[in-house]
Amino acid sequence: MASNGTYNAYDMARAQFDSIADVIDLDEGARAFLRTPMREYHFTIPVRMDDGTVQVFAGFRVQHNDARGPCKGGIRFHPQETIDTVRALSMWMTWKCAVVDIPLGGGKGGVICDPHNLSMREQEAICRGFIRQLARNIGPVADVPAPDVMTSPQHMLWMMDEYEKIHGGHFPGAITGKPVGMGGSLGRTQATGYGVIYTLREALKELSIRPSDTIASVQGFGNVAQYAIELYHQIGGTTISVSCWDQKEQCANVFRKKDGIDLAELRGITDRFGGIDQAKARDLGYEVLPGDAWIDQDVDILIPSALENSITAENVEKMSKRVKIIAEGANGPTTPEADKAIHARGIHMIPDFLANAGGVTCSYFEQVQSNMNYFWEMDEVLGKLDVKMTAAYVAVSELAGKQSIYMRDAAYVVSINRVAEACRARGWI
Amino acid sequence: MPDELRTTPEGLMASLRERAKELNCLYHVEGALRKRETAPNEVYREVLEALPPGWQYSDICVARLTIEGKTLSSPGFEPSEWVLRADIMVQDTAVGTLEVFYTEKRPRENEGPFLRDEVRLINTIAGLIGHHILRQRLQSIQKDWETLQSQGGVSASEIWRSPLHLLRESDRGLYLRIAHKMLNYLCRIGVSGAQQMLTGETDSLDSEEEVIGEINVPACRFAQDPDYLMSDAPFELASKHLSQTEILGRVQSWMQEDKALGFLRILNNPRSPLPEIVDAMRRFQHGIPNKHILRSSTLKTLRVSLAQRLLTEQIDFVRIAKENMEIEDFYELTGRMVIPAGSHGRLGGKSAGMLLAHRILGRTVDAEQIVGDIKLPKTWYLPSDGILDFIGHNDLQEVIEQKFKETYEVRQEYPDIIRLFKNSTFPPRILNGLSVALDDFADSPLIVRSSSLLEDRLGTAFSGKYKSLFVANQGTKAERLEALADAIAEVYASTFGPDPIEYRRERGLLEFNEEMGIMIQEVVGMKVGKYFFPAFAGVAFSNSEFRWSPRIQREDGLARLVPGIGTRAVDRVADDYPVLLVPGKPNLRVNVAVDEIARYSPKWIDVINLESGTLETKSITDLLKDVGSGFPGFDKVFSLLEEGMLGKAPPRVMFDAEKHELVATFDGLAKTTQFIEHLNNILNILEERLGSPVDIEFAHDGTDFYLLQCRPQSQSDDSGPAPIPKDVDGSDIVFTADRYVSNGWIPDITNIVYVDPERYGRLGSREEMLSVARAVGKLNRLLPTKRFILLGPGRWGSRGDVKLGVSVTYADISNTAMLIEIAKKKGDYVPDLSFGTHFFQDLVESRIRYLPLYPDEEDVIFNERFLLGADNLLPGMVPDFAHLADVIRVIDVPANADGRLLRVLLNADLGEALALFVDPDEDSEQPQPVQKAVSHKPMQYWQWRLRMAERIAAALDPDRFGTVAIYVFGSTKNATAGPESDIDLLIHTRGTDAQDRELASWLEGWGRCLSEMNYLQTGYRTENLLDVHVITDEDIANQTSYASKIGAVTDAARELPLGKP
Repeated sequence: MASNGTYNAYDMARAQFDSIADVIDLDEGARAFLRTPMREYHFTIPVRMDDGTVQVFAGFRVQHNDARGPCKGGIRFHPQETIDTVRALSMWMTWKCAVVDIPLGGGKGGVICDPHNLSMREQEAICRGFIRQLARNIGPVADVPAPDVMTSPQHMLWMMDEYEKIHGGHFPGAITGKPVGMGGSLGRTQATGYGVIYTLREALKELSIRPSDTIASVQGFGNVAQYAIELYHQIGGTTISVSCWDQKEQCANVFRKKDGIDLAELRGITDRFGGIDQAKARDLGYEVLPGDAWIDQDVDILIPSALENSITAENVEKMSKRVKIIAEGANGPTTPEADKAIHARGIHMIPDFLANAGGVTCSYFEQVQSNMNYFWEMDEVLGKLDVKMTAAYVAVSELAGKQSIYMRDAAYVVSINRVAEACRARGWI
Repeated sequence: MPDELRTTPEGLMASLRERAKELNCLYHVEGALRKRETAPNEVYREVLEALPPGWQYSDICVARLTIEGKTLSSPGFEPSEWVLRADIMVQDTAVGTLEVFYTEKRPRENEGPFLRDEVRLINTIAGLIGHHILRQRLQSIQKDWETLQSQGGVSASEIWRSPLHLLRESDRGLYLRIAHKMLNYLCRIGVSGAQQMLTGETDSLDSEEEVIGEINVPACRFAQDPDYLMSDAPFELASKHLSQTEILGRVQSWMQEDKALGFLRILNNPRSPLPEIVDAMRRFQHGIPNKHILRSSTLKTLRVSLAQRLLTEQIDFVRIAKENMEIEDFYELTGRMVIPAGSHGRLGGKSAGMLLAHRILGRTVDAEQIVGDIKLPKTWYLPSDGILDFIGHNDLQEVIEQKFKETYEVRQEYPDIIRLFKNSTFPPRILNGLSVALDDFADSPLIVRSSSLLEDRLGTAFSGKYKSLFVANQGTKAERLEALADAIAEVYASTFGPDPIEYRRERGLLEFNEEMGIMIQEVVGMKVGKYFFPAFAGVAFSNSEFRWSPRIQREDGLARLVPGIGTRAVDRVADDYPVLLVPGKPNLRVNVAVDEIARYSPKWIDVINLESGTLETKSITDLLKDVGSGFPGFDKVFSLLEEGMLGKAPPRVMFDAEKHELVATFDGLAKTTQFIEHLNNILNILEERLGSPVDIEFAHDGTDFYLLQCRPQSQSDDSGPAPIPKDVDGSDIVFTADRYVSNGWIPDITNIVYVDPERYGRLGSREEMLSVARAVGKLNRLLPTKRFILLGPGRWGSRGDVKLGVSVTYADISNTAMLIEIAKKKGDYVPDLSFGTHFFQDLVESRIRYLPLYPDEEDVIFNERFLLGADNLLPGMVPDFAHLADVIRVIDVPANADGRLLRVLLNADLGEALALFVDPDEDSEQPQPVQKAVSHKPMQYWQWRLRMAERIAAALDPDRFGTVAIYVFGSTKNATAGPESDIDLLIHTRGTDAQDRELASWLEGWGRCLSEMNYLQTGYRTENLLDVHVITDEDIANQTSYASKIGAVTDAARELPLGKP
């Protein structure tokens, strides 16, 4: 995976693809096709800077695969952006859309720039320049950008505006990640956290466990964690501990109440970054434990929804014997070594790629609504999300059960197979 | 009156009777003198008759009055030996005598037979008569004038006469001076005759020669004939050449000038205390309403003297004040001063800086347009020697010695001094003054600020070292006064704190007689509910040492803004962030992503709670729930965070604190007002006018901008970008960095102090972490100054949470050459660095370089193996802290790097820094950076000398003089030359005697020229700036004389390229 000594995301993504391709016995032609993006655009964006000079920025858009539908993926503004990073990320987008079975392909874009060196006006000029270069190659039926690293809903609105100017009409479906009222969808804040619980609910069903008989420990208390807990409580579960980062003390803490936390109460003493006020929590009867205590709680369910590499070879042994399910709300919370140990212990894993796909599903809904220019109410969005997530879970889980493969591998198998099928059906390969 | 009489009722009655007699007498005398129509002789006779009844033995009392040659006496007058006498004075000239006699002997009293009260009585009466005479004279002049006018008989050429007579009679001294001025003036415009009048000589040509005289012989002194000047002659002469209007106009302006000079005399007398100066200024102010008639030189002199007496003695400051401050400005100031008795104090640096900056900005052309309307908060001043009064009043003189004690003693005793000061009382006069000030302030919240003489001087920033304290100023008058006095005492005590004393010691300012002026200032702000606070406040620097983008230049400046009171912008707080703005590049912000902006925005606000009377820190969210959109400057300060976007704050009426999430971004301020443009102009104008970069403090109440402080911002001058070599062997590198790199060059580092971030983080207790800070403080004193660098985790100087970084104060790191913060990942989290903000200015002042390291980033080298593998000197150097040896590593660089030293190269233009080992004899001169801006400072002495030495070498023709080589050594080569240092040259020659002589004379020419140039630049005279040592092959072979300098281990001579112009 490492070439010339440094980590390369593209190499890693291809290696991962190859290992799954082996499992599904993919032929050489399909492999060669799927290992490489279908299209790449490399272009320059000249920008008149505030001081009157002209600076030229390099931009990319990679469309990895659009066999299942228009490409979908974010645009990153990053000073150390490389084409290989963008290629890898576009590939991951293809698999991610396929696993939840939404009719979209994978794409990603980026501009090499450091927004710390740019005024808002200059950033706007980059956004508009980016769209001008790509206006014929993207759009609601071709490729739909979204916000990513260092880009925000504001950037998306500038891009949408530029696209609409060029094409002379309203095309809100050309971009997602827009604010509600400007072509955005309701339910976006809830989508990822709720998605985690939809899959968890299905897993419990499979294992014939009543949600009301379960207790959970959640790592994190940000957006994903809060909405996951909200829905988990609604279906009858009890959360006994959450963790969060303390900005003042520069360390993480776990807040525990053995008979179950009160979500509304905790939200009342939490800042906008998910930091819980320690003193107030103590007053409310919460125990404050060290930050790594979330993993050794005697619970049925663990929901890591904060950081990467939280479950490691060192702490995986601390996990209670009682743990039956891990639902990965965060991206990459489990290290490969820990993953092996979890697999060996027979714990049911709902992999990140599946569990937190609520976000991309909601983006798809945004696109659909934008294209119709008709926007759903919240319950309609969440209802459709439930249907999508449930179906996705069931497909993966069935495969895993039938073939006795680990859930994480099953998810990749399902998604890569779907993409390969689409390519074949179209007669490409 | 015999004392024993006083004790009895009879005695008391007798005394009262005497008093009644005196008053009666005075009453009659005054009555007589007031009769205008009566002939003078009649008046005097009545006065004489009224006198005897006023005396104890009135039956034997007679009186005599001699006036202008005439003598009058009371009935039955006969002189005797028992007499009391008083001169009658008019305009300081005796015009007569008043005498009272007893015709018979009486018992002895205070003054012969006369009582003390009787002496006073006769003096009073003589004074009354004097005034009477003067009035008579003036009336008669007036009358003559009126008569002449009514008769229409005043010839045009005579109009001047009466007013001048009036002047002559009323003030002879002034008349003399004015007559003299008139003659001078006539001379100047070339009126013949005036010269003779002035010098008393008849032949003007001769006299001129006399005046010039010989050099070194004092010129003749000409006796002036006052009688001549007192005559009408000068003005008679004038009236022949000047119009009447001109004569009177000039006389009037000279009279005004004379008043100004009187004022100047008091000002320039170092003994005149402040109250006398203030009084003189008041008289001057009212006496000369129209200052324009004064000569500009007079006004300048006054302004200079006023600035020196009232503000500061700093010559640079006075020079600028002269051009920018008017006398009115000073006068206005005196109305709000609490002046200790006999004070000779000044207002101190902070006050002076604020006042001057305000005037400079106020006098800017189109000020309203360019810098906006700038206000000063209402301020009262307590001059600098108030502290001495306070110390004297409470017998606290011992504290003066504090500064000569060891730092640790100072630190130990400081809390006691605070207690002692706060339990002391103020001299009544100061207390009265403070009481008046409080009446003026009413119940506005106040801030008591230090304004010491040392504070704010160029090159010294006592930022935050002396205290500033808030006083809510609520309650009864007595309570408010007590709270105010208490705050002042505490600010006084801070003069004797360890940090300022350490700072002064380092800069050789201990011997300076520090005095502490006090500013009592209204807090800028608005009352909102029970709170009082401004919309926002902050500090701004005209030169930024903190640049996060290569597009930002030093000159673009930097502002730190916070909502509410500015303490959180001025002081550094660990858990919160001010908004940073670059006035010259307002569109480039430190934080760009929305969540980044939100996370690094101010979360807390300092406000005064008027109910509890305290300064409170509140969460902004909570405060907004309390005060809603009543927050002053609501839409300027806050942005609405909604749907991942930051937008304009909601309209006030639609604001819902429960629903809307607000972030303090100051976007509204930047987008909808001219604030940043004005701020940029303010900084530029002040920098230009004050001749150095500045920093200011300000506050804004939502409507008006208030300037709170202005002082020179120090800057380092070795800021050139160092070339970064590309061919360095990886094993020679200790670290590299590519973020937030400034410019500079740090040669010859012999020691590294490395606080291992991981092991520091693993320390078990706060106590242990604090002991790391103490150990660093001790190492700071033991290691060679500016020859070591400090590397440590996170935020150096962290106060609240010591886990964030080693909790040092400036005193603990003052000797380091460089402060390095290491941001090592914890999980996927990179800790925030302080960027040196805990002692931002101190680092700049002391030329301590700052550099952040991100060792986990790609393409960055961090040679942990060297840092952890080298021998640790800590246990040997500070045995008390030996137990911290695995946390703190003290490394001797040469001992661990084959005798090499460490050098750190910084290049902001490339955004690269490199620390590498170099051989000690490798050329350590800093490459000359390209001169970017015109430097305000004179070129450094050694640089000029080195350049000249190079010139000489280049110009020297080796063949002509038989020269082999030329070297420079000593202070020029070592970069330590001062203004009077000479240039040491070593010349290796194989020439003949004749050639040697020729060379010597060639060099002498150079030497003399250089001496002259040096004199012109520095004012230091030297005979010959070159100190030339000639050596031969033989010297070199034997290593005799200066030949040993060539290739020496220490201070080796450096060869210069010969004969290559």
